[in-house]
Amino acid sequence: MVLTGTLGLALIGALSSLLLSRTSKHFVNHTDEVVDAIDRLLPQTQCAQCGYPGCKPYAAAIADGEAINKCPPGGDDTISALADLLGRKVTGLDPSCRKASVATDEQVIAVIREEECIGCTLCIKACPVDAIVGAAQLMHTVIQSECTGCELCLPPCPVDCIDLHPLAMQPPHTVSPPASGFECIRCGLCEEVCPRDLLPQDLYWYRDSPSKLESLELDQCIECRRCDRACPSHIPLTDFFRSAKLEKQQQIGQANRAQHTLARYEHHLERQVASSQLVRQRPSTDEKASLLDAIKQKRR
Amino acid sequence: MPDALIILLTTIFVNNFVMVQFLGLCPFMGASQKLDSAIGMAAATTFVLTLAAAISFMVEHYLLVPFGLEYLRIISFIVIIAALVQFSEIVIRATQPMLHQILGIFIPLITTNCAVLGVALLNVRQSHSFIDSIFFGLGAALGFSLLLVLFASMRERLVHADIPAPFRGAAINMITAGIISLAFLGFTGMGR
Repeated sequence: MVLTGTLGLALIGALSSLLLSRTSKHFVNHTDEVVDAIDRLLPQTQCAQCGYPGCKPYAAAIADGEAINKCPPGGDDTISALADLLGRKVTGLDPSCRKASVATDEQVIAVIREEECIGCTLCIKACPVDAIVGAAQLMHTVIQSECTGCELCLPPCPVDCIDLHPLAMQPPHTVSPPASGFECIRCGLCEEVCPRDLLPQDLYWYRDSPSKLESLELDQCIECRRCDRACPSHIPLTDFFRSAKLEKQQQIGQANRAQHTLARYEHHLERQVASSQLVRQRPSTDEKASLLDAIKQKRR
Repeated sequence: MPDALIILLTTIFVNNFVMVQFLGLCPFMGASQKLDSAIGMAAATTFVLTLAAAISFMVEHYLLVPFGLEYLRIISFIVIIAALVQFSEIVIRATQPMLHQILGIFIPLITTNCAVLGVALLNVRQSHSFIDSIFFGLGAALGFSLLLVLFASMRERLVHADIPAPFRGAAINMITAGIISLAFLGFTGMGR
């Protein structure tokens, strides 16, 4: 009785394990797709504030179950986008990831005090986006437009000649939208006067929804201010449109910058891998000894 | 109507596993946050449930009964279900990596979905034939999928609704599930 029971269960177990081992060999894992999808949502600053060397490694870690709230440059937007993609809960930014100097929400970049730089090239190797140029024994400098302010160059510097400066270069002429509190009565007078046959009233109502503005062809607005004058509620419509346009431009600029930084980071990684392989090709100490012996024996 | 079709329809609507027999409530609440993942979960559960019903029937009638091993019924059914779940997890991970990432822990948890074991055991208790047990499993799975998809689409709308603070989150979900259950009780007594 006990024997047949044991045999029966063993048979079921053996058959199912056979099925499972066959299927797992037949199907190959495709975790790359997940990692890529996560990586596209990260800001590509390669700042390493999450504790990983760059955005892609952090994306891989998230796919393996790491928390999604460790990206200070991405902030709440990135966290909610990741939560939406992965079906996780939205949480506040992990405070341990935020460095002291960035705590003020101000974008900073690294600047080398050039008279103190001894040309050791240590910071060049540390920079994840290759934003530091210079050669051995020669002064280094930071390419301002490439620096992401990640502070990774600070610890290696032997003479502490790198400072973080707030990025003075603000985005050009931002127009903050006028304070709300205007009452659109939906009279449609603005639509009659628009020379480009746009719908200023709808543009105003959907001013916070970029996709809607896109379909309403906000780009076609020539900012002639005729709708402003036609509006019986005196809403400065054109000011709203102008700020919405600028915001869109800035977002496009940020996306381009992210692409660019990603390309630099990948190039940096490739270069590191290549140089580490160069080092690996050199003989180790044991190999050196045996090589020397071989040479000695030849001479004899 | 043929017997099999009656079994199929009654298990979907009249004896719905989730809302009338209250089996499988854990994935019903856990995997219904988004419609996409709910559909994935429903498909995986349908696959596992139908196959588990068929295989458990064969094991019962060709292995357990002939050798007098009925006392091993529960443990052998659990082994079969666990293997099938693992199989579907491997397939999902390979073909739908994003879905696998979203569902995460819920795919292995199909193993402990009491509806799956419930179907296998009820098939034995109600002494269904082979075709009947497959349709019973398929009906249970379709009923579960129907409920999961209904509830997920409702929850997607509930997120945007203006709900009084004390009812937000789990509370309103429970209330909604209760109302759906009431609606399904309206089918009671039909089909038999």
